[in-house]
Amino acid sequence: MYDLIVIGAGLAGLVAAHTAAQAGLKVKVIAKGLGALHWGAGTVDVLGYYPDEHSPIERPLEAVPRLAAAAPNHPYALVSAGGLDEALRGFVALTQEMGLPYAGAADGRNLWLPSPAGAARPAYLAPQGQWPGRLERPGEGAPLLIVGLAGMRDFYPQMVAANLARLGYAARAAALPLDLITARRDSNTAQLALALDAPAARSRLAAALKRLVQPGERVGLPAIVGLKDHPAALAQLQAEAGAPAFEIPTLPPSVPGMRLYAALRRRLQSLGVRLEINLEIIALRAEGGRVVSVDTETSARPLRHEARGFLLATGGVLGGGITSDYLGNARETAFGLPLALPQEGEPWFRPRFFDPAGHPFFRAGVPVNRRFQPVDAGGAPVYENVWAAGGLLAHADPIRERSLEGIAIATGVAAARQAAEALRAPSLG
Amino acid sequence: MHTVSWHSVGEMLDACIKCTICSSYCPVAAVTDKFPGPKYAGPQAQRFRERGQPHSPDWSVDYCSACRVCNEACPSGIKIAEINARAKAQMVHDRGIPLRNWLLGRNELLGKAGSVAPHLANLAMHNPVSRLAAEKVMGIAREAPIPRWSTRGTFGAWVRRTRAERLRAEKKVVYFHGCSTMYYEPEVGQAAVAVFEHNGYEVIVPPQNCCGLPMLNNGEFPAAEKLYRSNVAKLLPYVEEGYPIVGTSISCVLTLREEAAELLDIEDEASRSLRLAMWDMCEWLRDLHQRGELRTDFQPLEMVLPYHVSCQSRAHRMGRPALDVMALVPGLDTRESDARCCGLAGTYGFKAEKYEIAMQVGQEAFQFIEDQGPDVRYVAADSEICRWQLEHGTGKKARHPVEVLAAAYGLYDLEARRLKA
Repeated sequence: MYDLIVIGAGLAGLVAAHTAAQAGLKVKVIAKGLGALHWGAGTVDVLGYYPDEHSPIERPLEAVPRLAAAAPNHPYALVSAGGLDEALRGFVALTQEMGLPYAGAADGRNLWLPSPAGAARPAYLAPQGQWPGRLERPGEGAPLLIVGLAGMRDFYPQMVAANLARLGYAARAAALPLDLITARRDSNTAQLALALDAPAARSRLAAALKRLVQPGERVGLPAIVGLKDHPAALAQLQAEAGAPAFEIPTLPPSVPGMRLYAALRRRLQSLGVRLEINLEIIALRAEGGRVVSVDTETSARPLRHEARGFLLATGGVLGGGITSDYLGNARETAFGLPLALPQEGEPWFRPRFFDPAGHPFFRAGVPVNRRFQPVDAGGAPVYENVWAAGGLLAHADPIRERSLEGIAIATGVAAARQAAEALRAPSLG
Repeated sequence: MHTVSWHSVGEMLDACIKCTICSSYCPVAAVTDKFPGPKYAGPQAQRFRERGQPHSPDWSVDYCSACRVCNEACPSGIKIAEINARAKAQMVHDRGIPLRNWLLGRNELLGKAGSVAPHLANLAMHNPVSRLAAEKVMGIAREAPIPRWSTRGTFGAWVRRTRAERLRAEKKVVYFHGCSTMYYEPEVGQAAVAVFEHNGYEVIVPPQNCCGLPMLNNGEFPAAEKLYRSNVAKLLPYVEEGYPIVGTSISCVLTLREEAAELLDIEDEASRSLRLAMWDMCEWLRDLHQRGELRTDFQPLEMVLPYHVSCQSRAHRMGRPALDVMALVPGLDTRESDARCCGLAGTYGFKAEKYEIAMQVGQEAFQFIEDQGPDVRYVAADSEICRWQLEHGTGKKARHPVEVLAAAYGLYDLEARRLKA
């Protein structure tokens, strides 16, 4: 029998499972499919913008108290700046142990990194491979040489360089032939990254880069520099090209996200955590205010999973934790938990897609108490042994705020700790 | 006349958000340009197959190995492999089937024919000259790990021969052995019977036929439907008696309880009852254990055992029952492989133009097994297809988890693949 079953294999679920396993719980992760890590930039965005404001935030951790005062139910208000800081430090340490190091600015500022469109986007922690792409103030920092591969579908160096130049950064573009790294004509980013796991392909790319790059330039490449062997791939490329090189995230699939997923998965397995994908919850059994088991769909009869506790990290509207129909009914998909939705009469969406205030429906989610237990309209826990974390939580708009990964990590840690504490207590034994 | 229907596919197309997770994990697209990946061959190409546009935009869907890794990875719940299977059937329906694929779909016929004189059949089929001829004439890869007919007699012959020794008991199970146990690996069936009987169950081995999966994989839906309906008719009386139908071939079990009915749009009461009565053997043993009824008098097996999760096992969405039950054996250090697919994928890797692809896909699994150290003697896998491919790719001996359990009960010699006296 498991102590804790974590539902969801995105960043929040994997971090929660890791925290719980380290606290000594016997943990299993089940998920319907692979998570949103495969879609993101592979960075840890903590807070880029206040809700309803367009000017960017410089230091996310310092912004948390003001955010919490304005939005007392925001997930960051529940974890507090201290809890957020500690969780992020723990994550940085974990990535170092896993050999996929992430780092943030020493002064606690957001990093500004080039997006796949050549915009500057705020992130708090970035993987080692994205660090050298850091954009200082316009006009500062080494000039950028953005290099793409002619024929690669998901990365356009001219567009990236042109947009960076418009923002005031010295940037130029170049394209190399795709057959430097693969004989294939039609590859997605994951397949190209696999091709660069081969040292010989990296050498050919590095030699071509060396001919292109001018002294003082840094080289921006699509994020395909190795999938299984990324740190070595990047180091070899930099050494042989004789220039600092960095990765720019691409359209999905996100290779940096896949690397993080694979590293976390390996880590969990080494801690004895079972990870089972393609399991969709179809029923739940509760007794005396506690969930005793969940059933998942199989090729025949339902499969029963029993545990002493359950932690939901199924994601928000995008991740699949919340769904809605054309009649305007929204539903939490795994347990049917109560949702905090836009007020009656308030529209779900504003007319403009890119409205700076965001769309009210994206703030929908599962309301929780300070112990991360989902609560009903009266504020009472729905189940004594259920916790929730990540994009599923109400009162945040992670895409608009640029807070997706920060919320995932901070609430994943916090909810798992609450679970560990409660499950250790004799009353729930 | 059977026509390929798409009714269960249409709604799924709109759920695809083109996130490409499927294509990122597709083991075939990772190694060859000939398959553009599940997103393209599935939800995207499907748009061109609808409403009076019967032909696929191209033939590339033929390179889908049907491993279903895409289904597993998809966060939107789309059964991409099912879309591909229907597209293949549509092509066969429109253009006919190559002789080679027709033959590969008929493993039961092949099994039966060779088992008349297995020594002779092995000699005739498994020599360099005939394998070369089979490649040149038929397109069956000469290196492919095509199984050898059992020279110890078929499983059916063993059941008949040992009838008097078999346990009679109140508790009964019905055993679905499948073609591979019948003709190629009767040892798996013997181990299964030993494990059933050790737990106090009488084993009924009813008449049965090929589950139809090889035909489904090769796009022969009408022929597969005949086989499926025949099995339903043969097994239904036992289902109605309330007996569990338990199989050791994970892909046959998948076909009988879900795949066939789904692809063939069969939604009757009989197939629903069969679906709910069928079990994979490790799944059934796990259930027995959860009810506190599994005998756990296992002797220690001190060894490292790499366990390859067959793609058909993942497709069941039932967790890892083989790992759950093997965990009860003291000393046994099972290591779960993350490899996506062994590559062989049914009859895929037997085909000359796909053999190399299958071997490259299998590298992940071969490497994992190698990484577990030089002392590893056996590997375990639930599917016969995977066992043949893993033996071919690694030189290790591959066993069904039930053989491992039978050995741990002290009933079976894992090395010689024989029941102990």
